[in-house]
Amino acid sequence: MTVIQQVLFELDAPYYGHPYAVTGHALFNAIARRVGEPVRRDLQVSHGVFTPKEFAEYPREHSQSGYAGKLGGSLPDVEAYEDLFVYRDPAQRWLQNGRPRDAHNVHPVQSLGGRLAFAPECYFGRPPETRNSKRSVSWYLQCYLHTGRGPSDCLPLDESVLDGLRVGGGRNYGLGEVSVTDTQLVDLDALDYSRLEAGAASSGSCQVELVSPYVLESGFPGADDQSVPWWWNVDQTAVSVPAGEDGLRRRETRLAVDGDTHALSVVDHGQIVAYAGSDVVGTAINGVLRVGSHAKYGFGEVRLRPPQTDRVPKRRPAKKRVNWWRRAGQLDGGEGV
Amino acid sequence: MAMSEATADEEVGVDEMVGVYRHDVHKFRGRQHGSGVGEFAGVRVNERVPLGADADASMLSRPRGNPEQSVDNHATPHRLSLVSGDRAVDDPRLVANRRGDIEWLVTPSEPEVLHARWLTSTVAGAYNETVYYPYTSLQYHVLLAGALLDNYREGYDLEDLYLVATEPGEFERWPGAAQDSDVVEAFRTVLWTPAFALHVTGAPGGRPGVRLGERAVRSFGDVWARLPVYPFDVGSGRRWRVLDAQLRRIRAWSTALAYIRDFTAAYKPHEPSGDARRPSRGEGP
Repeated sequence: MTVIQQVLFELDAPYYGHPYAVTGHALFNAIARRVGEPVRRDLQVSHGVFTPKEFAEYPREHSQSGYAGKLGGSLPDVEAYEDLFVYRDPAQRWLQNGRPRDAHNVHPVQSLGGRLAFAPECYFGRPPETRNSKRSVSWYLQCYLHTGRGPSDCLPLDESVLDGLRVGGGRNYGLGEVSVTDTQLVDLDALDYSRLEAGAASSGSCQVELVSPYVLESGFPGADDQSVPWWWNVDQTAVSVPAGEDGLRRRETRLAVDGDTHALSVVDHGQIVAYAGSDVVGTAINGVLRVGSHAKYGFGEVRLRPPQTDRVPKRRPAKKRVNWWRRAGQLDGGEGV
Repeated sequence: MAMSEATADEEVGVDEMVGVYRHDVHKFRGRQHGSGVGEFAGVRVNERVPLGADADASMLSRPRGNPEQSVDNHATPHRLSLVSGDRAVDDPRLVANRRGDIEWLVTPSEPEVLHARWLTSTVAGAYNETVYYPYTSLQYHVLLAGALLDNYREGYDLEDLYLVATEPGEFERWPGAAQDSDVVEAFRTVLWTPAFALHVTGAPGGRPGVRLGERAVRSFGDVWARLPVYPFDVGSGRRWRVLDAQLRRIRAWSTALAYIRDFTAAYKPHEPSGDARRPSRGEGP
């Protein structure tokens, strides 16, 4: 049994921290001061990903289908492996096409004395004759906790421990406060991996998507350097690479521990490589529990996708380019339509 | 009627590249193709763009199917900005001088001049692609359609095309500078800002780029996140990281390009600022 506890927070105050995600390290530090030593030793925290609360349709690969009401403010049921990632994709593919999805999904930016913070709510105007002349979209934060493999009595953490955490810069001044809205336990071993297995059995290789950065070098004392995993295979035909590069985008970032910052050299998240290994389900579970050094703090989360799956829902085969004008002429003449 | 269309379809020449920058004049008034005028300021406008370039460019930014009004109280051709949440351009002079400005954008007969004018225009950026999707940008739709058409004419298919990111070079907001710039590639440069430039081309030539994908869909964030090298240093300033994080969330192409322009104009991440300092403890990695 490999259990993770999904947690959904609502953002209560502007957030002035790492813009891509609330790092697992920031969340870990916030939780660690409220729990005892055994929990602190075992607990591993993922990066927190921001989601808006808006009307939604389940993504095509989700175990449920169709209209979902409002998502983002609650945790959808998890039955299949793909369900784990509904909120863990910055594009938030569940947002509805008929609405201004990019306006809902882009963070409302607030300037606090020249510093750009993310507002906890975004307002949209409505026609003045409607009852409330503004409608708001509020922001949530999804992360999950686990203790590695094997049973542990640490989880689930109580909501009272998680409620009211403050993360990011200016947190001593009330910024970055979050409150718990939903939490649930998921057993990774009991999930349905059939789409992935079917994909691996078909022709073509599965894809590995980097959900959070993978640490290559760390300045943190005692952390070993890592190389790019052998089971990643960069598709050189999909990218155009300047001389001397290998097609993987790298980035420098920092880990702040007790007032000291340590440089990290990472493979940046969001990239996709081909999967060159053989055990897709094993790798998929490892990917959720994260790989590489600093996995305890959310680095090295990967998602496996079956080959040839579209990352954009409702993508249909390209239409043959038809000369509509000419075709209309034929119809008029020939068939009397 | 069908006859003359068929022959027009087979004509190959510079006229197509001129036509693509004139095909959407009616959108300055929020009209649809069917109700647009055929002539404006003495030139033919609203003509069909060959090789499906216009259709593909619109698929990059809008959903397939019948449009619905997606923002309740905004049914005007003025673009809404994702940065401010309000009208992209509040300058009333842009509205007052509209006719002259639009003439300036469509009357030249050299396609390179048209491309340079659209690329550096402020007025075109104040309008949306359709009143139903007011966050999309007419300016970047037309530039994308032009880039696709030029590539299609050279024999590239959509799946052969790359999004290429480069440094901006010497940036000046006027068409002559765009034509003289080493960075700007005629028709294929779709964004030129003081911060960086983006190109859609089948010939990346060793510059960092990533394929658009097999089909024309709203995929900007996916494509952006896969670029092998960014044109800016995300390590050097938090504002760059904010911009990068936002771009990974945007799906519509013309909306994303307009976002880059609005964001770099509002927050100037390429200039040193208060956010460029060492991160505080809480900001961490």
